[in-house]
Amino acid sequence: MPVWQRIYEEINDPNFVLICAAEDTGGEAAAGPIFDAANPTYIQVIDENHLISSAFNFVNVPSAAWIDETGQIVRIDEGTYSMLHSFGEGEQAISFGTDVYEPALKDWVAKGADSEHVQSAETVAGNIRQHSSDQQKADAAFRLGNLFRMYGQEAKADQYWEMARELNPDSVNFIRQNLTLTEEGSAGETFREMMGAYVSAGRDYYRPLDIKL
Amino acid sequence: MAEAFMAYPELRNPFEAKPIHPEGSATVLYQGKAITLSSLGKGDGLLIDPADLTQINGFVLKAEGACFEDLCIPMTDDVLIEQDGTQWFSLTAFAALLGQPFVADHEAGVWSFAEIPAKRENMMLNAQAPDLEITDRKGSVIRMADLKGKKALIVTWSSW
Repeated sequence: MPVWQRIYEEINDPNFVLICAAEDTGGEAAAGPIFDAANPTYIQVIDENHLISSAFNFVNVPSAAWIDETGQIVRIDEGTYSMLHSFGEGEQAISFGTDVYEPALKDWVAKGADSEHVQSAETVAGNIRQHSSDQQKADAAFRLGNLFRMYGQEAKADQYWEMARELNPDSVNFIRQNLTLTEEGSAGETFREMMGAYVSAGRDYYRPLDIKL
Repeated sequence: MAEAFMAYPELRNPFEAKPIHPEGSATVLYQGKAITLSSLGKGDGLLIDPADLTQINGFVLKAEGACFEDLCIPMTDDVLIEQDGTQWFSLTAFAALLGQPFVADHEAGVWSFAEIPAKRENMMLNAQAPDLEITDRKGSVIRMADLKGKKALIVTWSSW
C-alpha cells in the first residue's frame, strides 16, 4: 500500500482517481491497519463482500481496471503488482511482481488515449473473464456465507463459502479468503499445493501482463 | 506444518449469534445491500410486496413491465401473482426471467441474488465500466458514474 501512495503522489493529477479496495471479509480488523500504515490519500475501500471482484469478474488479487474519462475500460484483469518483490537468497529466492506496470500507468495518465498502453474496447471485452451462471451464482453464495458469519452462524457460513468455492473453482479469492480463517493461513501448505497444481497444469495464476516498454 | 502465514483464525467467528431478521421476515441480498422484508406472500418462491421491488434492485413497475433505465421486462402470470385479493411480485420468478442466479436458505429466510446479466451487457460486450456502487472507509458512497470526467484506476488487494 505505501507503494501505491507513492505512485499516487508522483502522478499528482487532480483528474486521476486511485481506488484501492481490500477484498477482505475480515473487514477493518484485517485490512484497516495495513491501509493506515501507508497514510493514504487515495480512496480506500474495504470490500468485505468482494463486490468489486464480482463486478469486474476478477478471480485473484491484485487485479485492476483502468477506466477513462468516458467510463470506458481501457485495460483490465492483469496481475497488478506495483513493483518487483524479491525475498530470500539463493535457491530459496522468490520473486514476483513487475516493474513495468507503474511506468505504463503513468504513461496512460499523462497521455490518455494516445498512450500505447490503452487497449481497444474489443481487446478489453475479450480480456474480461466470461463467467458461467454457476460462477455468478458463486458470488451470491459467498455473500450469503458472509451474512451468516456476521450473524454468528458459523456452520451455515462455512456451508455457503464451500458452495462458492465449488461453483467457481477458478476463484483464488474464495480459496485464499477461506484459508485466512484456518490455522495455516492463506499462504500455507494448502496454498502452496494449489500453486504447484497451477504450475503443473500450465495455468496462469494471473492473466499474463501484456505490457511492453 | 509450516509456520502459519496470513492466518486470522480469530476472525472465523467473531460475531455473536443473533437472528438475521424478525420472525416471519425475509432478507434479500443484492449488490452488497441486505434488505429485510416483512410483507411476504405464501409459496415456494420469494413473493414480495411490489412496492419493495425498487429498493431491492432498482426496477420500477410500469404499464409496460418491470423497468430499469431503458430495459423493460414484460410481466408474466408467474411474476405478478394474486393471493386472496393481494398482488405479489415473485422475485425468484423474475430472476428466472432475467437469467439471474440466486442462492436461497429457506430455513433462515435469506435470498442472495447475483448480478442481473442484462445490467452487465455493456461491460461484457462494450467494455463500459459496470454499474457499481461502493462505500469507502470514510463512509462516502462512490458510483462508477461519478468518476466520469476523470481517469480511474481501481485495484484490488487483500490482507491475505
